[in-house]
Amino acid sequence: MSLLPWLVAAWLIGVGVAGLATSRNIVHMVGCLSVCQSATYVLLLGIGFRAHAGPPIFYDHPPGTPAVDPVTQALVLTDIVVGAAVSALLLVIALQVFKRRHTLDPRHLRPLRPDA
Amino acid sequence: MSEGARRVLLALALAVLAVAAWRVAGALPMFGSATPYGQAVNALIPDARGVSNMVAAVNFDVRGIDTVGEEAMLVAAIVGAVVLLRGSRGEGTTDRAVRVPGRALEPRADATALVCRIGAVVTLVFGLYMALHGTVTPGGGFQGGAVVASGLLLVYLGDGYPPWRRLVPGPLFGVVEAGGALAFVAAALWPLAHGDAALANRLRPGEWKDLYSGGLMVVSNLAVAAAVAGSFALLLLEVMEETREVQSGEDDAAEEPPQ
Repeated sequence: MSLLPWLVAAWLIGVGVAGLATSRNIVHMVGCLSVCQSATYVLLLGIGFRAHAGPPIFYDHPPGTPAVDPVTQALVLTDIVVGAAVSALLLVIALQVFKRRHTLDPRHLRPLRPDA
Repeated sequence: MSEGARRVLLALALAVLAVAAWRVAGALPMFGSATPYGQAVNALIPDARGVSNMVAAVNFDVRGIDTVGEEAMLVAAIVGAVVLLRGSRGEGTTDRAVRVPGRALEPRADATALVCRIGAVVTLVFGLYMALHGTVTPGGGFQGGAVVASGLLLVYLGDGYPPWRRLVPGPLFGVVEAGGALAFVAAALWPLAHGDAALANRLRPGEWKDLYSGGLMVVSNLAVAAAVAGSFALLLLEVMEETREVQSGEDDAAEEPPQ
């Protein structure tokens, strides 16, 4: 049972990498990268979890009551924001690739040439 | 490399990953046990900083320098996306709507416009609430900024492109994004001028559970909210500008909201 969160994270990154390796569409690859990234969410939140503890926000319950680790939650928060921005950047790159090469299949992409 | 060789390579990599993950999982702390650093934050920060949201305290105070770097990554990614999208078009924008040739453009129903206008106002207010109460209740600049930007998207959904562009002029997004990032960096550098460490909290912490608790955290939180809202709004604007196709002689009348 105590291994389950780590196995879920490893499974997520595994299927994400498998999707990246076999993908035939750049947009699909960006989705696979997001799956890989969600493995880091599971891993970080799993590390920060504390049994029988509340949220690390001492508004309704006073400081001193058991609470989960706020550091890993803060890391997940920044992870999500940067992930959204990087996904946007990758999708924009995919848009430009399609405009210039008229394909989204990474196997058909060749090194950039100035005349292409 | 042939398809078969790539699969073999992938299988080898996944096998290595599986072994490594198994070893690491065994070495990690027991699931559900308390982690010392996080518990120290939970024990010390409510008294030291007067805030009740520990996640915001970690983001903007305890590990604030990390967040400055993360904010720089966000701004860099957005700037890269915007530069790629603008391409040869430059900074020129128009307020014409997206138009696919040959597809009829149905005017939006009154109900759509009404629901989206109400939803946009509620979303904007909720985003501002989340951003302003970042140091007190769940939320903060990152979440609030993202919610505000999605509220702007609801305006587009309900009223169409021209009213959206009339409501918020494009350059404002860039100013809000850059201004927020600049304010955050200034808040980080300001203590250096007084001989303190960067982002040292030199302001009064304020009352516990109060809206303005947290001292310098309030400033960085609002700066991040502005930067995130500006970034995502700028991205939405540029994606729409890029994907639309302007036909010569097209008129804007069909895109006007129903009266």
